[in-house]
Amino acid sequence: MRLIISDVLNLPSKTGDKLIIPDSTLKIHHCIGCFGCWIKTPGQCIIKDNYMNMGELLGHCNELILVSECVYGGFSPFVKNVLDRSISYISPYFTTRNKEMHHKQRYDNIINISAHFYGINITEKEKATVLNIIAANAVNFSAVVNGIVFHNSVDEIKGALA
Amino acid sequence: MNIALINASPKKAESASGILLDGLKGLFPTDCDTKIFGIHDPSMPETAIEELQRFDAWVFAFPLYVDAVPSHLLSAMRQIESNKAVDKDICVYAVVNLGFYDGQQARNALAVMENWCVKSRLKWGGGIGFGGGGALASMKNVPLGRGPKTSLGKVFSAFSEVILSSSSQENIYASIGLPKFLYKLVAEMGWRHMIKVHGGNKRDLNKKL
Repeated sequence: MRLIISDVLNLPSKTGDKLIIPDSTLKIHHCIGCFGCWIKTPGQCIIKDNYMNMGELLGHCNELILVSECVYGGFSPFVKNVLDRSISYISPYFTTRNKEMHHKQRYDNIINISAHFYGINITEKEKATVLNIIAANAVNFSAVVNGIVFHNSVDEIKGALA
Repeated sequence: MNIALINASPKKAESASGILLDGLKGLFPTDCDTKIFGIHDPSMPETAIEELQRFDAWVFAFPLYVDAVPSHLLSAMRQIESNKAVDKDICVYAVVNLGFYDGQQARNALAVMENWCVKSRLKWGGGIGFGGGGALASMKNVPLGRGPKTSLGKVFSAFSEVILSSSSQENIYASIGLPKFLYKLVAEMGWRHMIKVHGGNKRDLNKKL
């Protein structure tokens, strides 16, 4: 399954894709740091909204496409919120990767990550931060980075994904 | 000197960020005007942003979330950036606490904070990445600078001087004063204990859906 987490609506998609996009009628709640997704309802966020199953969705995807405005060298608040609500994808147990502590995988899949960032006046330092963050995300999620592309506009992303 | 200590944990109480700010606050002289603010939600009251204007320094404390800044804080940062009245002479500092042991893993969150300062035309004063923050809640009675908080006391002592002089520092990284293997062992025992407390089984810590 291909999972697309995007703050841009109306992206071109294929049959079978799962799109996670902002819903103007349903608020996304932010992670409250309770770790309920590890110790109360393992594998699922305890906050009941459209984003409570993110860990399970990530556990059953092989391709993850992230589409986000570049905000201070990272994701937009919406995309970051979805990722913050996704930690049930990983196990609370620790392991060591690249000589640093990380969480063990809960699932056996390997995710291929592609990221598309858009915005005007994205600085070189912001781009460098983006690259570092996606690399760190990939280590934490035991994922592989397929590519990171910067775009000047949303239309450019729609064209790239068509 | 006026210093705003901004607790940006999503938890309104009992947070490691709050413990860290309390520890830092204790290092400032008594004639230093400090006030603790909270950013626990994505939206900040405009009155709070206006009140922040009277402070010379802003010290953010927050947990590392998925290698960067928690989304609710990111929303608040955008709100502050869009507030045209923000005094550009304010110096911004940050303390990031991690559940991971190695403080260096806060480097990207601190880079985001620095990038935000550039966009908002605020002065970036540098930050601290503190690994093993998950243990702080169980060490409330341990004084700063003692036992497992020895390294924290050292970096906070230097950090408080930097803040008081309105100067900047390179980011500093430190960890809780426990061996890494012991921190991991205790943390994982904690997960097994907590899932049992909530009626679950330790095998469910790795449950797949």
